[in-house]
Amino acid sequence: MVASLIHPLNIFIVGLGGGFVMPLLYRLGKTWLVAGFFVALAGITAISGLSFLGLLQGGETIEILTAGARPPVSISLRFGMSEGFFTFSVNLVALLGALQLWKRLRGNYAALLLYLILVMGINGMVMTRDLFDLFVFLEIVSIATYGLLGLDRAPAALSAAFKYIMATVVASTFFLLGTVLIYYVTGTLNIDDLIVGRAAITGPIGATALLLVLACLIIELKPFPANGWGLDVYETAPSGIAAMVSVGVSAGVFFSLLKLLPLFEGQLDLIAISGGVTFLFSNLIGLKQSKVQRLLGYSSIGQMGLLTLALALLQQIGAQASVPLVVGGLFVNHLLAKAGLFWFAGLARCTTIEGGLISLARRPLMIGLLGLFLVAIAGLPPFPGFWAKWELVMRLAATGKLPWIVVILVGSLLEAAYMFHWFTKALQPPFDETTTTWDGPALLPVLGTAALLVATGVVAAHFSGIRSAWIFAPLAVGIALYGLDSLPGRVKVALMLVTVLLVGGWLAFAATGIAWLFAVLLLAGSLVIAAAGLYREDIRPGYYPLLAVLLLSIPALLRSTTSLEFFFSWEIITLASCFLIANSRGGGPFVLTFLLFSLLSAFFVLAGFASIASVSGTTDLDALLTRGPEATVAFILLATGFLIKAGAVGMHVWLPGAYAEADDDLTAILSGVVSKVAIFGLLIGTYVSIRSETGLALAHAVAWIGMLTTITGALLALTEDDFKRLLAYSSMSQLGYIITATALMSHLGWVTALYLVANHMMVKGILFLALASVILRTGKRRFAETGGLRRTMPVTFATVLIAIVSMSGLPPLMGFGGKWLLLDAMADKGWYLLAAAALFATFLGFLYMIRLVSGLFFGAAKLDQREICEAPSALLVPQFILIAGIVVLSLYPKLLKDPVSAVIDPQFAATLVWKSISLQAIYDYWNPAPVMIVAVMVAAALFALAWIAYRSRRNDQANLDRFFIFWRPAMSHNLPPVAEIFWRGVAGVALGIATNVRLIYTGNGQTYVFYVLLYVLAFYFTSTGLGGVIPE
Amino acid sequence: MLTGLPLSTILLVTGFGLALIGIWGILAHRHLMRIIIGFVLLDTGFHIVMVATGYVTGGTAPIVDKAFSTAEAMHSTIDPVPSALVVTAIVIGMSVTAVMLAFAIRLYESKKTLSIDAFTESKW
Repeated sequence: MVASLIHPLNIFIVGLGGGFVMPLLYRLGKTWLVAGFFVALAGITAISGLSFLGLLQGGETIEILTAGARPPVSISLRFGMSEGFFTFSVNLVALLGALQLWKRLRGNYAALLLYLILVMGINGMVMTRDLFDLFVFLEIVSIATYGLLGLDRAPAALSAAFKYIMATVVASTFFLLGTVLIYYVTGTLNIDDLIVGRAAITGPIGATALLLVLACLIIELKPFPANGWGLDVYETAPSGIAAMVSVGVSAGVFFSLLKLLPLFEGQLDLIAISGGVTFLFSNLIGLKQSKVQRLLGYSSIGQMGLLTLALALLQQIGAQASVPLVVGGLFVNHLLAKAGLFWFAGLARCTTIEGGLISLARRPLMIGLLGLFLVAIAGLPPFPGFWAKWELVMRLAATGKLPWIVVILVGSLLEAAYMFHWFTKALQPPFDETTTTWDGPALLPVLGTAALLVATGVVAAHFSGIRSAWIFAPLAVGIALYGLDSLPGRVKVALMLVTVLLVGGWLAFAATGIAWLFAVLLLAGSLVIAAAGLYREDIRPGYYPLLAVLLLSIPALLRSTTSLEFFFSWEIITLASCFLIANSRGGGPFVLTFLLFSLLSAFFVLAGFASIASVSGTTDLDALLTRGPEATVAFILLATGFLIKAGAVGMHVWLPGAYAEADDDLTAILSGVVSKVAIFGLLIGTYVSIRSETGLALAHAVAWIGMLTTITGALLALTEDDFKRLLAYSSMSQLGYIITATALMSHLGWVTALYLVANHMMVKGILFLALASVILRTGKRRFAETGGLRRTMPVTFATVLIAIVSMSGLPPLMGFGGKWLLLDAMADKGWYLLAAAALFATFLGFLYMIRLVSGLFFGAAKLDQREICEAPSALLVPQFILIAGIVVLSLYPKLLKDPVSAVIDPQFAATLVWKSISLQAIYDYWNPAPVMIVAVMVAAALFALAWIAYRSRRNDQANLDRFFIFWRPAMSHNLPPVAEIFWRGVAGVALGIATNVRLIYTGNGQTYVFYVLLYVLAFYFTSTGLGGVIPE
Repeated sequence: MLTGLPLSTILLVTGFGLALIGIWGILAHRHLMRIIIGFVLLDTGFHIVMVATGYVTGGTAPIVDKAFSTAEAMHSTIDPVPSALVVTAIVIGMSVTAVMLAFAIRLYESKKTLSIDAFTESKW
């Protein structure tokens, strides 16, 4: 009895029956109508869900033949795994959508009826095994859509609906013609029979018929450029209806393409190109869009392009086993995230990205939901799209389809650009705040899809072969802490520190080798620096959960054993830092740049990993150690990715804004701790290079990039009047040294690199926390507005001094040694030019360090700053602990060197010698003093020259402040912001193309129909050649 | 057979001809009613083509009874399936036309014009 109730055929009985009964229920009363509608819709959902569950538990595919006959006479339906998955997900979203759309549906029995019929039609498109029935269901869906589009009587909505009708009617008419011609050639309409007898569909009529069917299915998926009609509807329809068109109707059409795909083996290239062009161009044009629903339309169309592309390519390379993960993952990701976004836009009443009637800026839940959906749409973890894209890229790399990987990654980057542009706009408070509220129940469907996205993400992770639950630990901790977000600020700091210590310790414990060293070092550093958060009394909504995610993802990344685990944590670190910066007061304008460069970096890393996997056939990180010369490409990709993230010269444009505008204690963490993750990446990337014997040439190039980064960073630091930005550039400059050290690719270089990593972490922790103290007490960030603080803030003065000495490499602190060893090693390799550059960099480094100390602590105190007091102990104690670390490591360098040597030794042959001294002995015998003396003398000489030049121009009273003020304009004039101009140019070109290309969308329905016809013709002739018209 | 052409050819030519006229109407006319008529012509043209594909020269109606065995019917009747499909297609076409006309009425109410050039609010 129960079994027959949940038979999939009942979907149609309930759907059609519900449709007929509804007008009667309307006469009976409103309650009856509502009850009837929801019983029918929930019934359809339940039937598909339970049947799907039955299949999951090992049930057999359900074949339905009506009228007691066999195909082709009967109406035949199939309910298998994929049908179950598609129908159940669409029905579930439709059910949630009905709740969301309730205001419009309520009391309008025609609308309820159409909605029900629409859902049933989509189910039919998915389940039917008959080509003509497919046409009928397509028309049922279309007519129901037309009706629902008519719900909105605004002129723009009506015109858009009419254009939609014109285009889809043309498409479905050709589909019908194709169907009948196929019957004419084969004598059957049963899809299974057609697939079996595919070879028989030949000749001009057969080929034409197949192409007509295919082209029309593609048209229904709204390919670029024949998709203006779809965009107009997305823009003007009520958000709930637009959501159903975007996810529901498209799902039906896409599934039809999926099941008919075996008929189109010869056209796979064409399908892939159509999908690729659509994905690329709709995301490109989306860049110029400022209307939210149209923006979502471009994204929807792009996602359908990506799905089509993925489907065709996987079929082509014979990777059908990956179809469930890739296509299923991308589909469900789009379904949930896009529906959620459309509903969200309707709920928040956003018409343009500039903001809607409801201010989002002060509603953390809404901002959180928006962020979640955007992360999902961008294909970032932990959502299904991430796992799907990973698998897709891996499969494509394995078969050498590299251009397609580029298409997918570029398109994804463009999509992320405009979607997150909306996000940063939404963060800004509106000019006029209205106090409109929304109804709570309408939020439920949005929350529901968000929860489903998380759940499906976990399932997709399982399908990707992730068996280690620990990679989700940072996110789980974040969610748990978010639940306690209403506690007082300081309680939350304590809570966060304890969890990070416990969970982070557990994660770090399992790491091995260099990763273990990094994990311990960075975890300890992050706990100390994060403890400074105690100086803020305010609540900082959302800050501590995000910080916990960020800090925990670092040990999680370091304990990864596969590149997928690594990449997952890498992306989580990116996202957590991005949202933390967005959460900061002035961070808004810089979030997008930060995110885009981070994504660019991530995509290079992804391509690099894919390239390694295609060479080695495995995603184990150990594979990095064993590859031969063929891994050069992988090295270049990986190194580029990590260099972008490290803020290397040319790619550094994201760095100053993000560092300077993040909260003051957050900057200390970003610069001290998070930047080291990129260095770790570079180190493991260098494994590849060493093993691939890529040779010195590339290493030399990387060393130069590092040194130029150092010099550029120092020069830019000197042009700054804002001392926090000065320190941000200093951070970039110091990372340059580490990059150079890494590039030495020797035992020596690596020991130095790790040594500098530890040093830089502690130094930058101290300096940024000290600046936080100064900003807290003075409220200023410019040298011109402060000075003479050594009397009022003596302790901070002392800590800054100690940190500067350690950073500069002067004795006796731990910085002493590392940099001079680097100089020596470069000279030793014969890289004299590089060594000379390093000498110049040392000079510049001294200059900006003097600038920082003299500008803040010397000179005359400002009148209003004479009474300020010393920094609070919450900021001082972490600095003391870091100083203690520096002192201990200066006195007992073995504490660090021994473990460093221990983990590095296995990477290099143990017999390596340098200047005939065994490696272990180098540091003990090596005397950095001579090199240092030379460097300091060179720096002093250069300084003297600069001073003379200054004195010869200015004859007034000379002092350091004026010296810097004298040189600053000279440097900023002679240092054109080449990188910034370049990247602005790139953005300008992209926007320019978008501006011009979108002019094809004239808004005229006839033009759109013309495009549709041209598309069909182009499709036809590309496939057949001119032979289609000229008989051979 | 006065012309010497088989009936199915005449039907095919007529059908495709009507469809082309319909497409021309959709693309060239500015008036919504004329465009809708273009759609009807396109539909009708293709319906005629479909019927033509099922035509067998000299065939009779596909009614199988005692006087007409199944084996005979296979060869000497026209194929009934396209005709059945066309009936469905006609019904669908009519519904779509009705929906289009309904939209045309509403569009006229909103702008007091039926020129398609007036309905280009959303673009780019």
